[in-house]
Amino acid sequence: MKTRVAFFDFSSCEGCQLQIANLEEEILDLIEIVDVVSFREVMKEHSNEYDIAVIEGSIMRPMDEHRLRKIRSRCKILVALGACATTGGINKIRNQWPVENVIKEVYKDADIKDNEFFNAFQTKAVNEVIPVDYYIHGCPINRDEFKHVITSLALGKKPVIPTYPVCVECKKNENVCLFELGKYCLGPITRAGCNAICPTNGSPCDGCRGILSKPDVECVMEILQRYDLTYEELKSRCTLYNTNVFNPKDGMTLVRRSKND
Amino acid sequence: MTQSHSKIVKIITKKDLDTFVNNLIKNEKHNVVGVKTKGIKFVFGPLENASELRLDYDVTILPPKKYFLPPYETLMDFSLNKPFNVKESDVAKPRIIIGVHPYDIIALEQTDKVYLDSQKDDFYKKRRDNTIIIGVDIQKVSENSFAASMKTHVTESGFDLMLTYLGDKYAVTIGSEKGKKLLEKYAKMISATEVDIKKIEEVRKNIALQFKKKLKVDKEEWSSVLAANYDHPIWEKRSQKCMECGSCTMVCPTCFCYDVKDEVSIDLKEGSRIRTWDGCLLRDFTLIGSGEVFRDDIGKRYRHRFYRKGNYLPERYGFVACVGCGRCGIACLPDIADPCDVINDLSHFERSENTGKFFIKQKTEVAEKGTIHIPQSATIKRTERLTEMEMFFEIELDDKKPLGHIPGQFVEVSIFGVGEAPISVSSGPSSSSSFEIVVRRVGNVTSRLFRMKPGDKLGIRGPLGNGFDVKSFEKKHLLLSAGGIGIIPMRSLIQYVVDDENRKKYKDITILYGAKQPSEALFIEEFEDWCKIDDVKCELTVDQCVEGDCWTGCTGLITTLYPKIKLDRYDSENTVAIVIGPPIMYRYVIKCLETLGIPAKNIFVSLERRMKCGVGKCGHCQINGVYVCKEGPVFNYNDIKDLPEAFE
Ligand SMILES: Cc1cc2nc3c(=O)[nH]c(=O)nc-3n(C[C@H](O)[C@H](O)[C@H](O)COP(=O)(O)OP(=O)(O)OC[C@H]3O[C@@H](n4cnc5c(N)ncnc54)[C@H](O)[C@@H]3O)c2cc1C
Ligand code: SF4
Ligand code: SF4
Ligand code: SF4
Ligand code: SF4
Ligand code: SF4
Ligand code: FES
Repeated sequence: MKTRVAFFDFSSCEGCQLQIANLEEEILDLIEIVDVVSFREVMKEHSNEYDIAVIEGSIMRPMDEHRLRKIRSRCKILVALGACATTGGINKIRNQWPVENVIKEVYKDADIKDNEFFNAFQTKAVNEVIPVDYYIHGCPINRDEFKHVITSLALGKKPVIPTYPVCVECKKNENVCLFELGKYCLGPITRAGCNAICPTNGSPCDGCRGILSKPDVECVMEILQRYDLTYEELKSRCTLYNTNVFNPKDGMTLVRRSKND
Repeated sequence: MTQSHSKIVKIITKKDLDTFVNNLIKNEKHNVVGVKTKGIKFVFGPLENASELRLDYDVTILPPKKYFLPPYETLMDFSLNKPFNVKESDVAKPRIIIGVHPYDIIALEQTDKVYLDSQKDDFYKKRRDNTIIIGVDIQKVSENSFAASMKTHVTESGFDLMLTYLGDKYAVTIGSEKGKKLLEKYAKMISATEVDIKKIEEVRKNIALQFKKKLKVDKEEWSSVLAANYDHPIWEKRSQKCMECGSCTMVCPTCFCYDVKDEVSIDLKEGSRIRTWDGCLLRDFTLIGSGEVFRDDIGKRYRHRFYRKGNYLPERYGFVACVGCGRCGIACLPDIADPCDVINDLSHFERSENTGKFFIKQKTEVAEKGTIHIPQSATIKRTERLTEMEMFFEIELDDKKPLGHIPGQFVEVSIFGVGEAPISVSSGPSSSSSFEIVVRRVGNVTSRLFRMKPGDKLGIRGPLGNGFDVKSFEKKHLLLSAGGIGIIPMRSLIQYVVDDENRKKYKDITILYGAKQPSEALFIEEFEDWCKIDDVKCELTVDQCVEGDCWTGCTGLITTLYPKIKLDRYDSENTVAIVIGPPIMYRYVIKCLETLGIPAKNIFVSLERRMKCGVGKCGHCQINGVYVCKEGPVFNYNDIKDLPEAFE
């Protein structure tokens, strides 16, 4: 029997599922090797029998948590898809403020009391709720990496996700390093796997694939100085995906990577 | 430099040089690349017109190594359904590279030493053979370069043509017959006069004076400075700032380590084996299946890079594996990667006479056997599940020839679409066409092997590595200690020495085997058969028994077996001890052997490290300056006992 795969979305823009839907012809090959039993983006049918669950989006409400636990109990392998799911992604920006303030700001005076759809807590990544077996990082995901993970799982092998930083891929692409152009780039500390797509196209890495290590503060300060960059520049690089790492409110909370990171 | 007199030198005007380059571009046989701008920097790239060429550049982002060992390279394509439809990938069409600086030419000559040794890298060789190098003497010195201190700012070899800018014209030094032909065919030129030759020498002397960055230690001295300062706090201190970004290794012309992975198409029908640049600063460089990481600490990884460049490779090949291009200094954001700075920091510290202490010579020269990347086709003949974690395989090469291994050697087992794993040969040498392996399930390749059946196809590369020198053990007592799956390679040696024909060549044989628990002990029946042979003593112990185990033998660690052995001085001098087991076992067992009075030179061990290529190229298996895949896995203890990374 072919491996059965189901896709689920939580709080996200569905951009990552769209990346998959956009595989076009290759999607036909994909359904040759696995049975897609649920995929809201491309089909109406749905089944509760599946081996692999692919989760997109962050977890924002108790009702999401409940649904996610149910999915976990039904599948053998659970894959987190896209930054929203793997790290919390841009949904975590709002964690800088207390939830109540956020709700107030967004819904103003609307009557949402006791409505569980609006009962939000601080944004969580999938692995903050249940164990995750494999991660497909990125905002949005890289299609080649998605294919690698799916073919690996279909062949019964562990997918290999890079543990080295974006600079490795950036250097292989022979880009002019953005630091030399006066831009702060998170490439040296961000997980590779996107083929350094941002620096290759001239924009600094925002760290959407997750931070691998946290260099020590002194070192970052020296780099800022060496390249004539400001602390503001660094901060602006970190507001999108990594507010939890470089907290703009409290100043820098960088710490030396730990051995087990 | 005086040699340039003996070389033919021509003179070409700037305009005629452009015509020459344009002629080369038009001549479609070759792919013409040269130095051009990329934003504020320079790179080697395809030339469409001579006007793009920037011979006045300082340094390119990446060195020309990218044309010989591309960042991503397909080693072979295969089909998963018919595993043995492998297609060796084509190498690029003939290429001309214009504008290579002398230090990069020297770096290529160094790479040749590694990639064109007795186990030639075919892809690299083909590219080297079909590439024409047109060098250029440096016109603008890069701020970070210290090439003059490394004496790599000029070169007398390694090019087909070398251009030198003489103000209003170029001198062309002819370096090869190929270069000469090219010039004659496509360029208008005149012969150089005595004055021109003098001028070239002046230009070259003048280049040396333009380097601001200078070494305080001659490059010949790096090896001895490093040998004396292995434990210097500088490594730990400087590495504190390292972000582990790997940039210093990616941009370096003399860093050529690589990783290999299999990619498959989404329909699971076809795939390719891809090699891609890897680097020793990255943590997973030494990660093995059990999760262990050798050189785990960033300080150690940071140090390794400098030792490889300044001590390990110099001791092995006789050259410092840094050409002073300064690229790493430019690429490293916290500015800690530049060897010139590091060596200068160490300049006022001690030197050591014993520069070769991190390196040993290779014992068995592995014969060249066709191509080094493409495995031979083989078929699984028989499988047997030995324990929960281990499975036995009898494998036959499809050419029906014997593997031709000696005990202690290993093979790379290849499963297309999954990858390769180094596995010891577990059977003794024999004239039969099949051999045996035993595999413990830990990761991708090994798990896939568990699902394979007789008749299934595999790829085999090998035999590889240095095995046991069984001849030198003759007329000696043998004390063999195996821990855990160490019995797998040990079995090959045991089968050899207890063989009817060989048994009489050796004196008493003692086999000690320690397993974790009874259910994990391998080859118990064979073990009992060995015990029955004349003058072969066997002891088996398990670390512990869990309830329900039916076990009447010894319990306790393998080290509890040694006190039972009595050797007089004569015997210990004449005993060869062989130890194979998990990393933790060596220290304890070797202590027991020393207590028995067995000298270090009589002790042999087999070590495990992460491996990829198995042929001394990819760099993963290094213990200091030693390649486990070439000089090992079998080592004489005396040779490696002082290598700091051997028994960490
Ligand atoms: C000289 C030598 C002899 C060996 N003999 C045996 C044997 O007889 N039986 C046996 O079961 N195992 C043996 N091993 C260990 C075996 O090679 C690893 O368990 C195996 O490579 C794991 O591959 P994997 O794909 O299953 O694991 P994964 O974790 O998926 O490994 C991925 C890659 O990491 C590398 N790697 C991981 N672990 C190791 C390792 N321990 N050593 C080297 N490279 C590693 C390989 O390149 C492998 O392709 C030996 C290792 C060496 C170095
Ligand atoms: S990870 Fe990015 S692209 Fe994917 S769903 Fe979330 S916001 Fe959208
Ligand atoms: S541009 Fe960014 S990713 Fe690229 S090398 Fe520079 S820091 Fe690294
Ligand atoms: S370069 Fe950085 S921000 Fe861009 S896709 Fe890669 S990880 Fe994400
Ligand atoms: S170590 Fe640095 S200076 Fe030396 S060759 Fe490599 S990149 Fe150039
Ligand atoms: S370039 Fe610098 S920071 Fe990056 S790995 Fe090398 S030494 Fe470390
Ligand atoms: S150098 Fe590649 S495995 Fe030893």
